[in-house]
Amino acid sequence: MITNILTQIIFYIFALGVIGSALMVVSAKNPVQGVLSLVLCFVAMAGIWILLHAEFLALILIVVYVGAVMTLFLFVVMTLNLDRSQLKRGLVSYLPFGLIIIIFIMIMLFYVVGPAHFGLAAYAAPTAQPANYSNVAALGTTLYSEEVYPFEIAGALLLVAMIAAITLAYRGRRNRKQVKIASQLAVCREDRIKLIGLPSEKKHEDTP
Amino acid sequence: MLENYFPILVFLGVGIFIGLAPLALGRLLGPHKPDAEKNSPYECGFNAYEDARMPFDVRFYLVAILFIIFDLETAFLVPWAVIIHKMSWLAFFGMGVFLLLLLIGFIYEWKKGALEWE
Repeated sequence: MITNILTQIIFYIFALGVIGSALMVVSAKNPVQGVLSLVLCFVAMAGIWILLHAEFLALILIVVYVGAVMTLFLFVVMTLNLDRSQLKRGLVSYLPFGLIIIIFIMIMLFYVVGPAHFGLAAYAAPTAQPANYSNVAALGTTLYSEEVYPFEIAGALLLVAMIAAITLAYRGRRNRKQVKIASQLAVCREDRIKLIGLPSEKKHEDTP
Repeated sequence: MLENYFPILVFLGVGIFIGLAPLALGRLLGPHKPDAEKNSPYECGFNAYEDARMPFDVRFYLVAILFIIFDLETAFLVPWAVIIHKMSWLAFFGMGVFLLLLLIGFIYEWKKGALEWE
């Protein structure tokens, strides 16, 4: 009973952290601060996921999203060369349009994932597991037996993402001054020297 | 299971406390009289030439996104390595095909020269 109340207190602390940092993401003036708030949001969300007994997903959220994806977001924000004076303008003129979009999204969210689809009746609380229970092993057992086909598709998607990233962001080697030994060795005489048989000049006999 | 994570929760609490306590103490105890000159960036006595936020080279982005892909590959390897000793050959060869797909991508990016920096 006390554990239950303690779990609920921890849940509400993390949920407050998620909501507060999510509000900071959208309200931060500086985009870098917004990205860092998103990091805080992910960390708090990982805490909630651990409370839901999804420990592997929570740790992967921290390792992959906080460790790698948010670094990428920081690079993107810094690559954009944002003009900070321009960011502050246009809030009032965009406000009605933004409000309309927010209302539409809220209506859609309400119908798809509204309160009717949630609650303990729809999703029972996860049963308490013994201390030696391994969520990683349980996940792996399902993933590598029944879900092998989606797993391979994920691999193919990663391959596509890799090729797409190289195609979009790779600009080729730039003016590197490196000696290419192989191409130097591959040169043969015919490539460099061309012998042209010119007719020899005739000697003028009646030169004054 | 959750009780295993209690030390981590304690760590989080102590970490947040240690991070916030010096800031709060400095704010409460120290004098706080800012002006425009104190808040301006200090650059060896003369006026700052330019903004510190200069745009990054797009190649950082390429390296970061390639890192994410192999990071995800490692994330898939962890549960596989935990349970492979009691799984069938399907799990083994499933991971083999997955690694082969990423190996193709790796050879492609290596041959393309996307990993080189000059």
